[in-house]
Amino acid sequence: MSFKILIILSLLLLGCSDKKEEQPKVTNTPNIALTTTLNNSIAGSPITLSFKTDNTANVYKLQIKNAYGNVLLHPEITDSELINFNIPTNFTRIAGPFRWKLLLHGKIILNGKHTITTNAPKATYIESYFGPRSVTAGYNDFSMLTISPTDAYDNPLDNGTEVTVKYQFLENIEELKISTKNFVAWYNVASTLKSGRILVTSECNGTTSKELATIVYPSNAVNFSIRSSSAHNFADGNQIITFTSDIIKDEFGNIVTNGTLVTFVIKNEKEVYLYTIGTTLNGIAEAKTLHPDKASKWEIQAFITGAAESNITEFNFKPAIKDYPVHFSKGNRNIDIGPFESFMKQLIPDGLLIQLDIYDTNGKFIESKKTTTKDGVCNIFLGEYFLADGDYILKLKAAGITKEFTKNIHGNTTK
Amino acid sequence: MKKKTNTLLILALIVGLAFHGSAIFFTLEYTYDALIHLFFADHYADSWFDPWEYRWYTGFTVQSYPPLVHQLIGILSYIGGLKFGMYTVALIAIILFITGAYRYTLLMTGSRRIAGYGAVMAVFSSTFVETLHIFGQLPSVSALSILLHSMTEIYLYIKTGKTRYFITSATMLAVTVTSHHVTPLFGMVFFIAPLMGMTVMDAAREKVNSYKELSFKVFWGTTLQHFWRIAKFGGTAIFLLVFCIFPYWYNSKRNPITQVAIPHGSRDNFLEITSSGLVFFLIPWGVFLFILPYFFYRYFSKRYLFFGLSFTLLTILGTGGTTPIPRLMLGEMAFNILTLDRFTLWATIMALPIFAEFAYRMVEGDLKTLVQEKFGGVYHRVLGGLIAGGMLFMVLFTMTLGYFRPSQPAKIKMLPIVNFLGADSHDSWRYLPLGFGDQMAWLSAQTNAMTVDGNYHSARRLPELTTRAIERIENSKFRGVEGIGSLQQFLTVPEKYNLKYIFSNDKFYDPILYYCGWQRLQQLENGIMVWEKLNVAPIPQIMPKQDVPTIMKIMWGIIPLSTVLIAIFVNIQMIWVRLLKSRKLEEHSFMKLELPYNKFPSRLLTFSHWWALLILICIGYGMYIFYIKNVTQLSPNNVVESYYDALDFKEFSRAHSYIDPEENIDIAQYMLEVSVTDGILSSYAKLDSLGIEIYDETKNSAKAKVATRWITPLENVFNNDFHELIKRKNKWYIKTLKVDNDIPPDQLFTANSTTYYNHGRRKITTQETYHEDVLKQPVLEILSAKLVKYKGQYSIIGELQNVDNTPADIVIKATLYNDNNKELANYNAKHQIKHKLMPKETTTFKINFEGIAWSSTKDTLPPTFNPDEFTPVSFEEQPTKFNLQSAGNTANTDLYKHVALQDMEYTEQGFNGVLFNSGVQEVTIPQLIISYYDADSNLLWVDHKFVTEGVRIQRKQFFNYKPLDLDSLEVITSGLENCFVNGSPNKAIADKIFPNRELTHGKKQAYPFKGKGYEYLKFEINSYIGNPK
Repeated sequence: MSFKILIILSLLLLGCSDKKEEQPKVTNTPNIALTTTLNNSIAGSPITLSFKTDNTANVYKLQIKNAYGNVLLHPEITDSELINFNIPTNFTRIAGPFRWKLLLHGKIILNGKHTITTNAPKATYIESYFGPRSVTAGYNDFSMLTISPTDAYDNPLDNGTEVTVKYQFLENIEELKISTKNFVAWYNVASTLKSGRILVTSECNGTTSKELATIVYPSNAVNFSIRSSSAHNFADGNQIITFTSDIIKDEFGNIVTNGTLVTFVIKNEKEVYLYTIGTTLNGIAEAKTLHPDKASKWEIQAFITGAAESNITEFNFKPAIKDYPVHFSKGNRNIDIGPFESFMKQLIPDGLLIQLDIYDTNGKFIESKKTTTKDGVCNIFLGEYFLADGDYILKLKAAGITKEFTKNIHGNTTK
Repeated sequence: MKKKTNTLLILALIVGLAFHGSAIFFTLEYTYDALIHLFFADHYADSWFDPWEYRWYTGFTVQSYPPLVHQLIGILSYIGGLKFGMYTVALIAIILFITGAYRYTLLMTGSRRIAGYGAVMAVFSSTFVETLHIFGQLPSVSALSILLHSMTEIYLYIKTGKTRYFITSATMLAVTVTSHHVTPLFGMVFFIAPLMGMTVMDAAREKVNSYKELSFKVFWGTTLQHFWRIAKFGGTAIFLLVFCIFPYWYNSKRNPITQVAIPHGSRDNFLEITSSGLVFFLIPWGVFLFILPYFFYRYFSKRYLFFGLSFTLLTILGTGGTTPIPRLMLGEMAFNILTLDRFTLWATIMALPIFAEFAYRMVEGDLKTLVQEKFGGVYHRVLGGLIAGGMLFMVLFTMTLGYFRPSQPAKIKMLPIVNFLGADSHDSWRYLPLGFGDQMAWLSAQTNAMTVDGNYHSARRLPELTTRAIERIENSKFRGVEGIGSLQQFLTVPEKYNLKYIFSNDKFYDPILYYCGWQRLQQLENGIMVWEKLNVAPIPQIMPKQDVPTIMKIMWGIIPLSTVLIAIFVNIQMIWVRLLKSRKLEEHSFMKLELPYNKFPSRLLTFSHWWALLILICIGYGMYIFYIKNVTQLSPNNVVESYYDALDFKEFSRAHSYIDPEENIDIAQYMLEVSVTDGILSSYAKLDSLGIEIYDETKNSAKAKVATRWITPLENVFNNDFHELIKRKNKWYIKTLKVDNDIPPDQLFTANSTTYYNHGRRKITTQETYHEDVLKQPVLEILSAKLVKYKGQYSIIGELQNVDNTPADIVIKATLYNDNNKELANYNAKHQIKHKLMPKETTTFKINFEGIAWSSTKDTLPPTFNPDEFTPVSFEEQPTKFNLQSAGNTANTDLYKHVALQDMEYTEQGFNGVLFNSGVQEVTIPQLIISYYDADSNLLWVDHKFVTEGVRIQRKQFFNYKPLDLDSLEVITSGLENCFVNGSPNKAIADKIFPNRELTHGKKQAYPFKGKGYEYLKFEINSYIGNPK
């Protein structure tokens, strides 16, 4: 059995190895010559390379190569002696050189170079960019306009092509001519001293580009002045005080951009720095804050950090409340505070903060209670579950007036 | 004898299909797992052979889960869509389960009557209801059902040794393997091993006349006789387990699960965490609990001995962390990876035949006679009614659990989100859903867009996720500090993941999104808020992918469905014959083992009664404890707890009922007072823990110090509140805190401001955005930057200004280097910065380097993450240099600056200050950014504080801030050499835009305050507006 298999296998192997010896191919270079004389053309025009040969039966191929890639062309045989290669349109439309090689059985027989020039006369298109989209008013900022004129087939036009640049700012329209170099023409449009909008456009061979714009924003602000205003100058903790700047401008007289942040720093009589913020609208920044609830002296200065500052303005708040009565009842557990009378003896608006700090007779802090007034008065009840019977020091703080009482708290009066 | 169709089985099938088949349409989509399987199915429907899935976790392989069920759904989706496929597979699983239970019972009892009971019990078993309708574990149910089917075949093979049975059992086992990997793995141990034991036992029994004569010697002899069959089958089973899903094992080897253990309810102590006890113990066991003694009695009879051992083991393992035994048995590692509820599932399924037998004996057997004899006919009927009623109650209770206590957010209409992702190349970035629950898988299945999150945590690869014990980032708030910490990492460095869009279905996350520099884009018509982050690059065209050999892809794509086809082909004849009774089948040997059931042991009945009584007492005690804890006004402690609970769940009318009635605050007034308070605690916090300390308690009054810990999206908030409590008419009440009576001076305010709008694309085109529609990036200037070390932690601090004329959104990224210019870490500024700046506005910033920032993540990670507490990084290479990259993008939202610092005073308790909102938007969460300067007004440190209550329009808000001690602060290096703005060097910008910068302004605006290690302070305010108008 295994012997049989061996025989069959050997036969198979022998069968495989039976192969004729390869004969070397006879290559005799045929006579062939380029008949097309023109070695340059304009983009978009058809190109045909013709060759004269004595044997059209040969399988010639033409390899052409430009910056974008390679292609292998098959000939078109028109008569017995002439073979033609039609260059495809995607090659004829691209400006620049392309190289060709005539091949026969993979061997280069002839080669050459053909140059295609741009086709500006047919049509010119303009691709243009302008940036940055905004600049700062002054002497050193600019936006660059970059123009790349192309022909109908998107080939950049030749170096030295003339491009007209126009730009408009307010009433002025400027025009100048520049020329392309390395496919592009560019021009730096300098910023102006006034804020506004610069529009630019360009023209080449009678074709105009779209409109492009850059915004000239005002430069950094210069020092400005502020003032404060309020309905009255009493420290009632309820009215709102407004700080307003004059029109903030830059060094060239432009009103600063809307939304510019202005910090109004308030220094009070205790040298504590408070602040409020305004953003400008047509150059005017306005910021608000609440009146203090006790007599104060405010010094206000505004800043546009790093750029500008204002004068220092002062605002003095007179005390609105001169004094307030305190009434103890129910074993001193019930404390009625008020009525609080304001500067015209009117009841103060609701919400004045009252703080009661409770200390034992040794001055040890026990607890603190906070409440706010309603209808001019307020009430604190120290329930027996809250504070055991005994002597206490009670410190009341309201409207900047501190009152201290030492009271015996007693009784079991549930409210 | 001509075989009759088993009417009970038919009944079970009809009822089962009608009941479960219609219920799945209302439950399946709300289950935990079903939509995950749908997502996998969508993957197969889309690319059958390619296992790589880009849409979750920045890419993972689906070879991490056995594919059969997914592929079935995928194939069926070509007929009627994904959901059609899912429901069809679910229906098939229901049929397979009922018939499987029938055949398993038949095998165990040898009685067709009892098997019929088994089928009916299977329909109404609460464990099945839970697995299907609450957990949605389709692969597990399918695999288990087929395992039940295969048991008869395995029994017959080992008993008879016929090749026919070997083939049928092997084919069925192959199907089981390809649908779920854990089921056959453990099924081998817990089901097939005892089955083999029982088979041998039966064979041994045939050799002797009664079970009494069946000695160990006989059994051992029979075992040796059957040894080769057992070995052959066992070997085949192991081969199938390895071969059929070989790519799965290959993948597990290549990508070992690095995920840290994620807490699972089934590992809890059920007595401590009663909700877990309910879901993972009470529901699956249901009425079985009362009949446990019978199960053990039966399973420890000689024939079932091996099942008895297995059943005991399963029961114990299923108790999770209640006893230390499961942990000891499984070992720490396995205990933390496995979900232990599956053991209970298997135990209850294993008990089914015995329960069926019990039911049979109770309804028409000897137990009925015994009970009637002992207690009378009425008692028997009542008892039967109670058991049946109990079963029905458990089924209904389980079924409606999801309705009364929804485990998922309300169903979200996905179409607007899908459309959003599809439009305008939004799917070129990753997205992240927040607050979607398991529905996020359904969203993923419908879109090609990718997310960083996912819902199959075993397949995660990002260390940011594998090192955190969280299921999904999407529901991170339920994982407390750790979850929020993980979410924050993704929000702070979104460009690392190309994460640009967030769909928020839970406003809880809004503040952290804002403070991490995200902005609201639009609200979709389904109510989902879309947030976006500027300055994030799109996903690169070429993404990393872990490829597997082609042979694996082919195996994975072809084997699973082939196993089904082969199994059907092999078994079709049997199914046909069995269904139509077309020809008489030879009675299987186990049918002869049916017991006569003529004497129910009386003592067992008595014992069962005592047992049932014990269970009832336990339940009663549990309910009593529940009552005591929840009677709201029984003690001072209860009323405070209830009050906070009511506030946490925003049940204000309930909260009002705990308020002292003698204060005469009516409900309308109370609601008004509560509704005006906004802020992080009232709108964005989840009460995490509540410590109540009652002191000064008298008979009728008490004081309570309530220490609360709130989980907020930003940080933990610890609050101490003091309440006075009072007892009136045997009920405790809480006294109200005083409300702020402050009123603004005017009714109507006017305000002017500059608003901004960015068109996006002005030309409607599908092409890339036109050059002239791209806005210039606003120019920023970094004014100062420093690398400092404070309390063992490295930070970059600095100050930055928007020097342009348009508002800017700021992204700032710092990289640390050592002396050898080796990169050590990089991270972005999180919330210690104002992310949106008006023209000329400045902000101080601080960049901390969190866990994932460091290049060697593993060494530096803390065991638990706390957003306030950083890794005290102990690395040998000290950072000595830094690089700062900032980028501005035009901002047009969140530019509200009208919060003023109105008053401030330094007291012993720190700074007591007043904020005043002078604008027309309500500030929900004000943030103070406090910067510290030295005598020359050089920046030293940046700190922040979130004020827990909001500032209403034209009103004040008080805050307290304790200044820090900066004695230990160390400035390592400072300078602006390596600072860049929009890619350009900072110096060039400074020279051009601000050549004449007034450097004294910093000092002039700072508050001279001499503290420990600093001379000046500056307060800045950043406001989050919850509902912009």
